[in-house]
Amino acid sequence: MRNLLLVTVLFSPALFAAQSSEVERGAYLARAADCVACHSTDDSAPYAGGLPLESPFGTIYGTNITPDKEFGIGNYTADDFYNAVAHGKRADGANLYPAMPYTSYHLIKREDSDAIYAFLMTLEPINRPAPETSLSFPFNLRFGLSFWNMLYGSELQLAPTTGKSEQWQRGEYLVEVLGHCGECHTPRNVAGAMQQDKTLQGGVILGYLAPSLKAEDLLARGWNSEDLATFMAHGISDQGSMFNEMYPVLHHSTQYLSLGDHQAMATYLLGEQPGPSAVISTQPLATLSESAQRGRQDYLNLCAGCHAAEGQGVPHVAVAMRGNTTLRQADSRNLLRVIDDGIAEQQFTGFERMQPMPGFADQLDDGQLRDLLNYLRQTWGGLPEDMTAPQVSELRSQKGH
Amino acid sequence: MAKRPLTLQINGKLVGPLEVPDDLMMIEFLHEYLNLTGSRLGCGQGICRACVLILDKPDGTSEEVRTCITGAHFFNGKQVRTIEGLAQRDASGAVSQMSPVQQKFVEHFSFQCSYCTPGYVNAATIMVEKLQRQPVKRSELEQEIEAALGQHICRCTGYVRYYQAAKAVVEELGLVREG
Repeated sequence: MRNLLLVTVLFSPALFAAQSSEVERGAYLARAADCVACHSTDDSAPYAGGLPLESPFGTIYGTNITPDKEFGIGNYTADDFYNAVAHGKRADGANLYPAMPYTSYHLIKREDSDAIYAFLMTLEPINRPAPETSLSFPFNLRFGLSFWNMLYGSELQLAPTTGKSEQWQRGEYLVEVLGHCGECHTPRNVAGAMQQDKTLQGGVILGYLAPSLKAEDLLARGWNSEDLATFMAHGISDQGSMFNEMYPVLHHSTQYLSLGDHQAMATYLLGEQPGPSAVISTQPLATLSESAQRGRQDYLNLCAGCHAAEGQGVPHVAVAMRGNTTLRQADSRNLLRVIDDGIAEQQFTGFERMQPMPGFADQLDDGQLRDLLNYLRQTWGGLPEDMTAPQVSELRSQKGH
Repeated sequence: MAKRPLTLQINGKLVGPLEVPDDLMMIEFLHEYLNLTGSRLGCGQGICRACVLILDKPDGTSEEVRTCITGAHFFNGKQVRTIEGLAQRDASGAVSQMSPVQQKFVEHFSFQCSYCTPGYVNAATIMVEKLQRQPVKRSELEQEIEAALGQHICRCTGYVRYYQAAKAVVEELGLVREG
């Protein structure tokens, strides 16, 4: 009788519907949290682990989080899973490396962690080990992280929500906790921890700037709520396109979020009543510095074929320079890096795409690159001050750091 | 658009100084100022490579440059070759002998409509000249051809014959070493 009752409960349509809706919610939340980005590689099954994450302390590999009992999390309970996500503790008690963004996830709602767990448990178990993480001494000693965790493990505190709309609060949760945006957009200290007094003020990863997401900075760089939501949905807007480390975030995560969640994130980032976004008019050539005026010819020689002589861009080929948010960053390392390295062909959502941009590192010496940067910054970026060749040289030398 | 003087060497001849608009693309300069119409405007976006010329660098090496997205003034003071400059010509200027690459492309019926051919010839020429300086191992020949021609687009499905012709010319000129 008891068995019959159990069978009845297990196969009751109502319970099945509840479980399936929890799994669907978990799948959505796993995308919002972008789990797949680190827990997969291009040639692995999703969530089967293996992505190498370069850190100043060594290379850390994303783990297999399919429900495989040998190599995955098949033996994890929902409690174990929550402990790993929110506190960086493996089921066996060992510390995870904080490449796992538990410092952001630690404020995850328990029901959301349970939903992600329920979703992961429906995946096909992949019986494959992820490569072993091997860090240099003393970072290879996981127990040392207990001290790190004591200092930084639960440092993230959300801003007070008094008087804030539900939309704003949802945006805060998506940006700060699930989306773990601060893991890149917040600068880190020497111990590799996010500097919580500088949250979302911009960080540097492998030579690229994850720019400041503070409302005043976003507005100064020409963002408004509608375009920010569009950018997260499609990876491209009037302000430019996602590139470098943000580009896969579109493909793994933000494109799948609902319009309501895109708007919530924009509301949180820009504020409930955002001020006007800056309008920067094109500066005439004659008003530019000598260096920038010299840079105009390099622009026409190497850039204008795709970005157009007056910076208007070409649809589906190359983004516009007029209004481009990257040109408005006082720290021009992204502009410099893109000019040097180029960008591979890009596919965005909504049938949009951009053609590959060649790199010009071999074509431009430091002086020419300085002139070109000054031309771009001054003409369309609203940044009148000149960069110097030593500054350019210094930024070039920081590639990959 | 403002103009500025442009001087360069094309196919062994000094050209200029000519007053050329600052923003003129190289392919238009070749077509409209010099009547060198062999470089083809295909996509106009730097993808198909029908428009490439050969840039000869001071260190003796060469590279292809897309003339549809590169300004004419980029080439100021530089040495370049276009498709018109590869064959031997007699005193009247008529073609007397095709270059080895051109000859082999014809023998292999490498092209149909020929629109992409100038780009392929220039790319294969750069490769052959590179191998003349340093021959390639047989085991790496196909990789070498792929690196040279792989980004060029042909819409008449001529890839196989282009590749065969490129391989044949490299072999005939003795630029392959065993290994």
